[in-house]
Amino acid sequence: MKTSELVQRLGLKTFNEQGDKEIRGVYISDMVSDIIGIKEGNLLVTLQTHKNLIAAANLVDVAAVVYARGKTPPEDVIALANRAKIRLLGYDQDTWTLAKSLFELGVR
Amino acid sequence: MSKTNCHHKWAMTNIRDGYLVTEGCFHCLNRVSFFSEEPVPPIDAYHEGDHFWSYLGSAQASKFDLRCGKCSKQIPLNELMALMLCVNCDPECGVFRAGHGEQDQKTWVYVALCADTSHASGTCVPDEGVRALNEYYQGDLENPQRIKVVPCRIRRSVDSCQGIVLADVGLTELY
Repeated sequence: MKTSELVQRLGLKTFNEQGDKEIRGVYISDMVSDIIGIKEGNLLVTLQTHKNLIAAANLVDVAAVVYARGKTPPEDVIALANRAKIRLLGYDQDTWTLAKSLFELGVR
Repeated sequence: MSKTNCHHKWAMTNIRDGYLVTEGCFHCLNRVSFFSEEPVPPIDAYHEGDHFWSYLGSAQASKFDLRCGKCSKQIPLNELMALMLCVNCDPECGVFRAGHGEQDQKTWVYVALCADTSHASGTCVPDEGVRALNEYYQGDLENPQRIKVVPCRIRRSVDSCQGIVLADVGLTELY
């Protein structure tokens, strides 16, 4: 599934309009040092809205970042994500609810 | 395929969780880092030869080695303390230049930070480790030139560097 389809099906908020990548898996983490070991193409679900996370997400070439619980990234984070062509998305409910929805959609 | 001709397919192995601890010597003003696997990062000051090391800070971090899934070659990354994204703050810096070659395409440069932050001992992350890190992070990319890992010894100044360190600073602090 592409990120654009996911946005449509889950009603995700979009913070920028970057690359529409194929989602090859899902990874949930709030630790930068944990993210640097994941494979390319994952949808990264997190609560962390700081720049360090984008630096790590870029290194492992994520499909997109989804901020759960209505978290909103600051402008400088969006600017860095734009430079890295990383799509930033938002979800109003908690991470567990998002995980269940992703699984039900077949995003695994 | 012989081991020497192997096109390595690296995977992380020997992953350890702990703390990246940074200390400074008020005598020589050098800085060093080390990885601690203790439950609580050590903060005690101590005397070592001419040095008087004091705790400057710590961050939750992970250490790992790389192992080739095809030939089983393993690259220990003992000297690697963390990775840092270059933000192109200094055109005179070797890291900046590493990301601005003749190619038009955008390259994101990540600096492999070693324990000897000030490089007073002359050691850094070995070339073999840097090469394996490049192969690991470039491995599955459509455009391998997008990511480049370089050793921190080519950084011009640790004091003026504005790079983004990939570590979990502040998660265990109390305010």
